[in-house]
Amino acid sequence: MLRASLASAAALLGGGALAGCGAAAASDPDTVRMWDLFSGADGALLDELIDIAAPDMPGTDVDRTVLEWGTPYYTKLAMASAGGRGPDVAVCHMSRLAGYAPLGLLDPWDTGLLAEFGVREADFADAVWQRTRYRDQTYAVPLDTHPFIVFFHPEPARKAGLLTRDGGLDLDAFSSPARFLEAGRELARATGKQGIAFGYVNDTAQCWRLFYGLYRQTGNDFDLPVGGTVTADTDAMAEVISFMTKLVGDRANPHRLDYPAALASFTNGQTGMILSGEWELGTFRAADPDLGAASFPTVFGTPAVYADAHSFVLPRRPDPDEAHRRRTHQAVAAVLKAGQTWAKAGHIPAYQPVTRTRAYARLEPQARYVTAADHVVLDPPVWFAGAGSDFQNAMSQVLQQALLDGLAPDRAARAMVDRINTALSQPSPA
Amino acid sequence: MTFADLRTRPARPTVSPLPAARRARRGAQRGPNLTLGPTRTARALGLAALAVLAVIWLLPMAWAVLTAFKSEQDASDPVHWIWPQAGFTLDGFRTVIERGDLPLWMWNSFFVSAAVTLVTVAVSAAAGYAFSRTVFRGRRVLFALTIASVLVPPQMLIVPWFQQMLTLNLVDTYAAVILPQTVAPVMVFILKKHFDTIPRELEEAARLDGAGHARIFWSVMMPLSRPMLAAVSIFVFIGAWNNFLWPFVSTSDPALMTLPVGITAVKDAYGVNYAQTMASSVLAALPLVLVFVFFQRHIVKSVATTGLGGQ
Amino acid sequence: MSTPLAAPDRAPAGDRATGPVATVRRLVPPGLLFALPFLVLFALFMVWPLVHGAWMSLTDTSLSAHDPSFVGLDNYAEALGDADMWQAVGNTVWFTAVSTVPLVAVALAMALLVHTGLPGQWVWRLAFFAPYLLPVGVIGLLWGWLYQPDLGLYNHLLQAAGLDGFAWLSDKDVALHAIVVATLWWTVGFNFLLFLAALQAVPDHLYEAAALDGAGAWRRLWHVTLPQLRRITGVVTVLQILASLKVFDQVYLLTKGGPDGATRPVVEYLYDVGFTGYRLGYASAISYVFFALVVLVSAVQFAAFRRREK
Repeated sequence: MLRASLASAAALLGGGALAGCGAAAASDPDTVRMWDLFSGADGALLDELIDIAAPDMPGTDVDRTVLEWGTPYYTKLAMASAGGRGPDVAVCHMSRLAGYAPLGLLDPWDTGLLAEFGVREADFADAVWQRTRYRDQTYAVPLDTHPFIVFFHPEPARKAGLLTRDGGLDLDAFSSPARFLEAGRELARATGKQGIAFGYVNDTAQCWRLFYGLYRQTGNDFDLPVGGTVTADTDAMAEVISFMTKLVGDRANPHRLDYPAALASFTNGQTGMILSGEWELGTFRAADPDLGAASFPTVFGTPAVYADAHSFVLPRRPDPDEAHRRRTHQAVAAVLKAGQTWAKAGHIPAYQPVTRTRAYARLEPQARYVTAADHVVLDPPVWFAGAGSDFQNAMSQVLQQALLDGLAPDRAARAMVDRINTALSQPSPA
Repeated sequence: MTFADLRTRPARPTVSPLPAARRARRGAQRGPNLTLGPTRTARALGLAALAVLAVIWLLPMAWAVLTAFKSEQDASDPVHWIWPQAGFTLDGFRTVIERGDLPLWMWNSFFVSAAVTLVTVAVSAAAGYAFSRTVFRGRRVLFALTIASVLVPPQMLIVPWFQQMLTLNLVDTYAAVILPQTVAPVMVFILKKHFDTIPRELEEAARLDGAGHARIFWSVMMPLSRPMLAAVSIFVFIGAWNNFLWPFVSTSDPALMTLPVGITAVKDAYGVNYAQTMASSVLAALPLVLVFVFFQRHIVKSVATTGLGGQ
Repeated sequence: MSTPLAAPDRAPAGDRATGPVATVRRLVPPGLLFALPFLVLFALFMVWPLVHGAWMSLTDTSLSAHDPSFVGLDNYAEALGDADMWQAVGNTVWFTAVSTVPLVAVALAMALLVHTGLPGQWVWRLAFFAPYLLPVGVIGLLWGWLYQPDLGLYNHLLQAAGLDGFAWLSDKDVALHAIVVATLWWTVGFNFLLFLAALQAVPDHLYEAAALDGAGAWRRLWHVTLPQLRRITGVVTVLQILASLKVFDQVYLLTKGGPDGATRPVVEYLYDVGFTGYRLGYASAISYVFFALVVLVSAVQFAAFRRREK
């Protein structure tokens, strides 16, 4: 009787069975399912890296899923982790960890197990390792550091007298705002075209990357108590914004470039230098095999280089399978040890035994900016900041108004403080 | 093939000498009410307007198809942007199909939409029958509640639904995608109205034979309702096939994603490839467009009968 | 089992007395039994989420594993002072206003033209309605590509005509309108079909009477066709307004609500707050603000309708 209701009851039961089916698909014992956000050249390189690491993880398949970079990636990762059926391991910017670990969305790594596979705390820069910790547990295994640096074409740079004798960039020539601007003009004279490129129009992060690195060079930082108000040096902020405005406003430099246009202006030789993340190394070297690079110059006195770090995290599992977790630890350790390959993309491998090798020292121009790792500053460790966050976007939008639409530096600084306070006034979800 | 089928009124009186079948087929073409009048200028103007609109509407699809058959180099060639330098190629399609997730998402979409349709129609038909033909305490209140809930936009429920799926431990399962989509008060309403139009005399004979509600529902109402059920099913199926927000929220595992979610959330590991992107778009668009080409009449009818209550 | 109407499938009376199925049958009226599957789903996935969502909006529930605590009306108070939310409400209302007019007018024009019976019926219907059948994922990819500033079709065409291209999706003043255009292309076919069906239903004798009076084509259009379409136009407009208020998919796929929130609708804001920002409690409050907006607009429309019917 009542076949319709029976049919729907059966369908509901079927739904229950399907639920089990989804979970079963997730636990192939030999496969480590990994989520990452590397497309393009980085994506191909990660495949290569995994191939090279294969002998160190016998019998393990790494099954990659590449999701759209930025906010969608972190949203999906958080939701999957909350659901408990996420991937076995995921790539996560270290700057996002402050928003993840306290939420209970991640499981900690077993450092003993990692050590067994040859990866120890001592193998990482201290500043980087500190960021992996939350409540005495390690929640992230760093893969690399990717600083915001400068790339240049050696020919015009030499003509402009900006190179040292060994072919490196003469950082003294960039050691104050005035000198930096002057260097741009000399570069413009040397190229016969323009000096320094910086792509920021409509970008959701570039302005912030440049600003925050420079702001930290002034020796200041943001104190960000959630629920309170920010403590910041607005004069120093205005000073930095003023410099940024002069830089893109200088006649020697292109004024309103968006990200792709900036890449194009540097690769086609229109400009002699570009302020950029090192992850564009592959793009630039394809255009100029002699490409030069250097750590971001210290313009405001205190060495600081804006950076972020890719790391591996374990999305939460209510009842993890021990053997499979072990396999995951092994796979991640194997990938870290193959980091020399990852350096091809421009990233500085976080696993230092790799960067200490002679082979690494011979890498040009990667070896030129490896020192950046000593002074990296990541986004403030607060829940709403980090790569791909709305916070970076909000900051970049205010800065863009200063660079593009003539918002006065001191007012821009105050507008930033306002926006930071708005973010702080939101209760932390943790 | 034509809208003539949609008419519920008696056939119009006509002076046309054509046989009835051909008249019916040509009905929409000739149209009983030439609003533009019979003059040549008017017809030419009308045709021109239609042609312009059609070109505007077809252009994006043509552009997608054109791109899909280009090589990646040609697709991103800013100078020769119409005709590919290297000729047409199937490379984009080949790469997309070899990658293998597109067929999987298509299957997921089909499975989810079919399940949603099956459950929704079965459950709504039974409820529509109950509200139309039976008496029980609370019937009016329950029906009023059902109608009132038409006002509730499903978008506002994604947060509690997600929380619910967390509690039931169903996040990232087919069940999570399917279940919330099966509640369709509008369909209950439409089917109840439909059952109301079926004359009661038709049940009398069965009732005299001693048939209960189950028999009447199954052997009398269902056969009489086939066209309506088909219309409702098509509408529900299209809705589920194209639904984005909830499948997007409830699945993070690419193996469980439906077509619209998968093709946008998962990125190719090798950068932005316009030809491949358009090849996957064309493939993703194909199933329903093909169905439309072959079953145009049914789909048109489904939208016309269900659409007013169902948007 | 008390009425003869409910007599079940010819089961002998003796069998009915025992077994759990029989007990259920005896206790539950058959009508309720028919409605039950629907009512169960309705209770689980409509009533409960509404109630639970209302409760969550009074707490600080987040995506984390921690227990939520009751915060009273704090979330609503925050929402009222939340500039981002008001921007999203503004965007939604603006999108609704700007999209509804062409979605109704163009659909009507298309239907009138097609209904004249000009040759090529099959092609017109396919051209105008087929986009509606495309999954929104395809809309996102396709229109992202059409609007691509350097390689997309539209800037190529503009440049071929000697005009400057647009930064379609990254210019604050253009992006929302570009999305309206994509939406028009995608969904106008649905309204077109509704109008076409309504046109078919206009009684012939009205036209015949008008023709006898010697009314020309334009007069028949103004005095017969359009008045007959008044009701359906009202209904289509109402449905369109409600559909536009719920916009999310194509905006999310084309701009993610950017640049700087210039295209973000309310539904995306509640998604962003809840899932990107992990604050499910606050997102629930936004959900109810959104609900209030939908109810308000519906009530206004209902009142307007009643006045016109009088």
